Amino acid sequence: AYYETTSTRLKTIDAFLVFLMLSGIIQFLYCILITNFPFNAFLAGFASCVGQFVLAASLRSQVNPANRNEFKEVSPERAFAEFALSSIVLHFFVYNFLG
Amino acid sequence: MRFLRKLLLPVLALASLALARSSTGDSVLILLDPSLKKENFSVFFGDLENKGYQLTFRSPKDATPEIIKDDVAQFAHVVVFAPNTKTFAADVTPQALVSLLSKNTNLLLALSPKQTPLTSLASEFSLILPPPGTPLISHFPKRDTPATVIPVDAPAAYDIISPNLPPVWFSGVPQALGNNPMLVPLLKAPTHAFASDGDSDSGADALVEAAEKSGEGLWAGSSLSLVTGFQALTNARATWVGGVEMFSDEFFNKEISKGVKSGNRQFASDVAAWTFQENHVLRIDTVEHHRVNETLPSETYTINDRVTYTAYISKYDSELDVWEPYSGIKDLQLEFTMLDPHIRTSLPPVAGEPGKYSVTFRVPDRHGVFKFVIDYKRKGWTYLTSSTVVPVVPPRHDEYPRFLSAAWPYYAGAFSTSAAFVLFVALWLAGDDREPKKSKGAKSE
Repeated sequence: AYYETTSTRLKTIDAFLVFLMLSGIIQFLYCILITNFPFNAFLAGFASCVGQFVLAASLRSQVNPANRNEFKEVSPERAFAEFALSSIVLHFFVYNFLG
Repeated sequence: MRFLRKLLLPVLALASLALARSSTGDSVLILLDPSLKKENFSVFFGDLENKGYQLTFRSPKDATPEIIKDDVAQFAHVVVFAPNTKTFAADVTPQALVSLLSKNTNLLLALSPKQTPLTSLASEFSLILPPPGTPLISHFPKRDTPATVIPVDAPAAYDIISPNLPPVWFSGVPQALGNNPMLVPLLKAPTHAFASDGDSDSGADALVEAAEKSGEGLWAGSSLSLVTGFQALTNARATWVGGVEMFSDEFFNKEISKGVKSGNRQFASDVAAWTFQENHVLRIDTVEHHRVNETLPSETYTINDRVTYTAYISKYDSELDVWEPYSGIKDLQLEFTMLDPHIRTSLPPVAGEPGKYSVTFRVPDRHGVFKFVIDYKRKGWTYLTSSTVVPVVPPRHDEYPRFLSAAWPYYAGAFSTSAAFVLFVALWLAGDDREPKKSKGAKSE
């Protein structure tokens, strides 16, 4: 039911979200099971996954046609532009903290 | 011309061999008791003058020449041969003699069985003297001299006394040594000698009783020292001699056994040479420190740096009157200290470079203000002390190691997120927004 009812666009976002979740889980498991040294690198990598997940999820909710009533002032293009810019800022912070 | 010059050099060298200069100066003041005649010590004083010292004689009760004037020591060395003087002149107080040591003046002090101002000064140097009127006595070996004149074996002590000396004649008081590491005993009493207040043995029982009652025990045996050197922390040397007669012509010329002269002359010369800083004199010329790959010292060091420390040490050569680099110290140590020594390592001499001692070590994992400390104290030798303060700082924010191999999952995670983001944007922009087939009950996110 999911596969037919969701648009390609949303499915692309969903795939992105799943990938980010897996990446974050792997890094988290490495941190608690093996070592949390260097901690700043863990925070940077994990924050990169979590932050990107949050941005992609908010893009999905703004772009989903079923939510048109909630986001009347925000066009899908504007949502995508905000997503792209904030992602770039997120990556800048991540590489700075990665050490 | 050339030939004359070739001849001159050996002649000059020969002349300088007769001199043995002191490293601190040539002027000697001799406080000679009026009861002792200068002629009775002519050999000892003559030997000193031949070495190059300028002798000035004065009676202990005279007011001039003063030993300290305007807080400046007037002579490089002071000899006190005053066994019979009960009081000295106003400028020769025990405090003045001690202050001479802090002014780098060396002292040669003679004790006597009579009570002199020096008797109470000796205890300041951790020398415990027997009660007044108890000289050293020995009934062995059988000899013509009275029991107070004793032949004593003189082994080579601390390399200061020449080896293979014949026994020396001694007459005077023994000193018991306190627990002070700065004392250098140069002549020990023979095992069969003891301190007693009379020549005859009639009072022997009373003596033993008195010794046991007083708790000090009998003043006897080879733990007593007859000539004791002392090197102060300022490196000035003070030698205490149990009796002045050791330096007299009479003892110099007395025969120890048939045809063998006593070793007094050479012994006195050795004692004077050590006391007046002719031999066993060291100094640190410079110290250097720098990181391993650099030559100049840096203002601060970082933790875990590798640092090289170098010390240049010279020894005074009294015959040539020069300081020569000296590599003979085998047990020099360096401490890298902040309240406690974090590093204590040996400072070995560098082969092939005389006088240079060097070591390379890793700065410890603590930051703070550290000191390079050399503290070398050995009996008979000058004390070497040096302290250099350096700050040690933690690494700056850009001096930490980067790209650690332990962090590769995080690097991979961050990079894959960026790559996935770029891929997603490409897909989004390349694709169309195609609506799926509308179905009933499509839930919204």
